[in-house]
Amino acid sequence: MQLRKRGEAPEAEISSASMADIAFLLIIFFMVTAVFSATKGLDFKLPKDEDNNQPQDQEEAIFFKVIENGTFTMDGKLADPDDILPYVMEKLERWPDKPIIIYSRRQAPYKTMVRIYDKLVMIKKTEGWDPRKDPNISIPTFSEIQEYIAAFGYNPFEQQ
Amino acid sequence: MKRIARKQIAGNVPTASMADIAFLLIIFFMVTTKFDVDKTKVEMPKAENRSEVAKGSAYVVIHCLDPGMTGPDCPEYGYKWSDGEMSSIPVGSLTDMESYVAVQLGKDSTTPFIIKADGDTPYQYVDDTFDMLRRVGASDLTLLSDQLTVDDIQ
Repeated sequence: MQLRKRGEAPEAEISSASMADIAFLLIIFFMVTAVFSATKGLDFKLPKDEDNNQPQDQEEAIFFKVIENGTFTMDGKLADPDDILPYVMEKLERWPDKPIIIYSRRQAPYKTMVRIYDKLVMIKKTEGWDPRKDPNISIPTFSEIQEYIAAFGYNPFEQQ
Repeated sequence: MKRIARKQIAGNVPTASMADIAFLLIIFFMVTTKFDVDKTKVEMPKAENRSEVAKGSAYVVIHCLDPGMTGPDCPEYGYKWSDGEMSSIPVGSLTDMESYVAVQLGKDSTTPFIIKADGDTPYQYVDDTFDMLRRVGASDLTLLSDQLTVDDIQ
């Protein structure tokens, strides 16, 4: 007896009709929840405790003092950020290892110190300066100043 | 004369490659974007010499506890911490922050740190943070800043 031929079984298939919808949903999710990496800033190195952190003599250094209203003095004279590089480079041409001190008063705005440091970072990009050599910038911290006061009885950075 | 009827062809935009394009876009977003571990709104200081922060940097955030206030008007400043992977969490004091930083440096002594602070923050908060970081042996820092523009100089 001849059996009746059955109809061909339907092929197994995963429905992919909604794949594009899912993909676009994921795109929207990433676009909304994620941000492009926009975190940039100024590189800054803290000295290690074992480094020789003797306070520099500010008479031999280029001395910046930031005061409470956000202005600053450069070797005792009120200065503008644009004055920094020409003044400093003139001094460093004669003495490249000349220390540079940035001293900020405790109530001074942080941004002024950043602005000065930002200008001093440009020393390395200046023509004639060896880019492998770091300028001798020091930023005395509160505890270092306290140590100095304990030893000598006064804050050397408030003398100017 | 009998005119031959024109055959109408239905307009059709090919969508076969749409899924491919969509997945390509997903991969692009997954690779190029990263989740912000700290969403504290601060008016960062401006700088010209900015460089990309190192991958895996930990965050030390200094912010006014009273939102909307800044500078000397702010009654109290607070700290937030993030190890760079988890979202930032408020930290009670700089002493507590020191513990977090020490634990992080215990895991990886070369961890770079990011200081994120409002530009008008009194320097004492940043100064104390420098002292704390130095005490526990951190040395690589990035002072998070915004791009200085011509308008800022004028």
